[in-house]
Amino acid sequence: MADPALTPQAAPADPHDHQESAPRADLKDAVGWLVLGIVTLVGSLRMDRLESQNINPYTVPGLLPGLLGLAMILLGAVMGLRSWQRGALTQGLPAPTADEREQRKRVLLAIALCCGYAVVLVGHGLPFWLASTLYVTASILLFQRLSRDEQERRIGTRPAVKALVIGVLSSVIIWIVFERIFLVRMP
Amino acid sequence: MLQGIQDLGAAYWSFMNPMTLLYGLGGAFVGIVMGILPGLSATLCIALLTTLTIKLQANDAILVLICSYVGALYGGSRTAILLNIPGTAANAASCADGYALALQGQAGRAIGIATSGAFVSTLIGVVCLALFTPLLAEVALQFGAFEFFWLSLFGVTMSGSIVGGDALKGWLMGLLGLLVAQIGQESLYAYNRFTFDWDELAGGISLIPALVGAFGLAEVLTTLSDPIERKIADLKDSVLPRWKEIIQYKWTVFRSGIIGVLTGLMPGVGEDAGAWMSYAAAKGLSKEPEMFGKGSIDGLMAAETGDMSSIPGHIIPSLALGIPGSAPSAVLMAAMIIHGVQPGPMLMIQNPHFIYHVVAMTTLASIAILLFGLFGVRPLLQVLRVRRHILMPIVFLLCTIGAFATASRLFDVYAMLAIGIGAYLLRRRGYEMAPFVLGLVLGPLLDKSLRRGLVLSDGSLLPFFTRPIAMAFAVVTIFTILMYVPAFNKGVKRAVGAAGGAVRGLFVRRA
Repeated sequence: MADPALTPQAAPADPHDHQESAPRADLKDAVGWLVLGIVTLVGSLRMDRLESQNINPYTVPGLLPGLLGLAMILLGAVMGLRSWQRGALTQGLPAPTADEREQRKRVLLAIALCCGYAVVLVGHGLPFWLASTLYVTASILLFQRLSRDEQERRIGTRPAVKALVIGVLSSVIIWIVFERIFLVRMP
Repeated sequence: MLQGIQDLGAAYWSFMNPMTLLYGLGGAFVGIVMGILPGLSATLCIALLTTLTIKLQANDAILVLICSYVGALYGGSRTAILLNIPGTAANAASCADGYALALQGQAGRAIGIATSGAFVSTLIGVVCLALFTPLLAEVALQFGAFEFFWLSLFGVTMSGSIVGGDALKGWLMGLLGLLVAQIGQESLYAYNRFTFDWDELAGGISLIPALVGAFGLAEVLTTLSDPIERKIADLKDSVLPRWKEIIQYKWTVFRSGIIGVLTGLMPGVGEDAGAWMSYAAAKGLSKEPEMFGKGSIDGLMAAETGDMSSIPGHIIPSLALGIPGSAPSAVLMAAMIIHGVQPGPMLMIQNPHFIYHVVAMTTLASIAILLFGLFGVRPLLQVLRVRRHILMPIVFLLCTIGAFATASRLFDVYAMLAIGIGAYLLRRRGYEMAPFVLGLVLGPLLDKSLRRGLVLSDGSLLPFFTRPIAMAFAVVTIFTILMYVPAFNKGVKRAVGAAGGAVRGLFVRRA
């Protein structure tokens, strides 16, 4: 465990920091882990014991998953207890700040773009470099729209062309390096 | 003994050709660049390079990967010093003193120290690698199912308790990793577990797509969600390595090097433990402990050397036991398996020259980072100027290729997406990914060992606790878990305090 006296001071706040989780959030997580543990345990118990194959009963496929499910239930319960002790039922969750709302918007956009690329564009007949160009260009432009900087948000022709050039160059270079030079198959 | 030295010489000689050296330098270069970019970890770097080098010869591919591993941790200390943001988690210990020195206008000196310290400590680690791996493999040949069961459990437990602040969350992530590893056809009877009749799940969730998702996509999402750009401290003074300071602080370097290797040997304990423990040891033994955190050269040296020497330290158990010492070495192991080298106790028997090749590769990696540290720091730092919303989509591009390339399945890409989004959500709630990775890697081993052990002992749990080596691992694992129970913890501390007091009392009376 990291000694608090050794952790760097004056580190700028960033999403990688560990914030003390709100006890309420921990309680929700604990419920999630409990449910997952119970589902795993039930699934393992219902697993075929393979008696028809005359296997050694100690090697049923459901052995380790069942134990893992039990452990998860145990740890989930401990987390639930701990969050209750820390006051989960008395304190509510803190309301999302403006920063957090902006983060949520950005993340949803990022997820939409990534899913759009990986599920829709790639692997369905479109050449890889074209799909990648579309994704990278769209990504750059859309995130520029969300930028906090006033100047960046105005998408004129120059930024649009720059985004397109970056998209094309990166896709083509990556495609050439992977497929032609290192002989790795593209989706 | 002589045979070993001969083999080592042969291994070094086999690397002395231009193409190989180029691969090594290239791997180190990519590693350093990815290490410099905050958020892109050594694990992701190795995972992506594994897919790039799939078609290369085994030795060349592993060379690229090891050089990138060393390069990534080396590059991460650049951002630790200049931005106060560790490039990889392992560089966190360098942040405090490195950034303090940077603020005092001595950024170059700090970087020079990091370079020279990294070079020397990696070499110390390489020597330990050459000496200990064959020895450990000898011992490991006596390990049976019972020992491997406790060793895998130990790895996941340690990883969960050491990484991040919350052991409970760490262990839950470890359990999740172990659980996800059980999906698919199990190894003893080819029975489909948790596949819900999906044929594609029968092969299970592959390691590389899962890692690329957890470390790549999750990172891309985290970075893109952050609206703030960061400022970088200026690099004014010379970045040349400081050999005089190495000699001045030679004991720190040597001690931290050994501590790094020892922490690396323990499965599950990541590079940051090596760095922090060396830092703590240096602070405890220093004549100026109050300088630590405010620009202590000693502290920076300790953190850097502990961090870098743990890389060979992590490779040792991966090669000798087949149990990864950390998340990046887990990917390294997966890459070795892809190229037909089976890590584990049988490695010394099936492929003995490989260990010496790894020694040569790691030496080459340290020389590569020295060269880049001497000549390439300033240009490489320009990479930080690329805007994140331009860089991250390109990284995701690489992630998609990375997930697809190993088995040419689109399913792997979808798995990467799912795990990546899940990992992002879990990260936001305070859960670390390293225990998940270890659980994923060690899951099959745990499963096989448990069931084989039970068959061998005919259902009895006794051998799991009475065989000497198994008992030792069991005691350590259970002790570690119990230390987090407050009542037990207090009891142990009281007992240790009382014992310490008694020992001190003995000496005081003598004086």
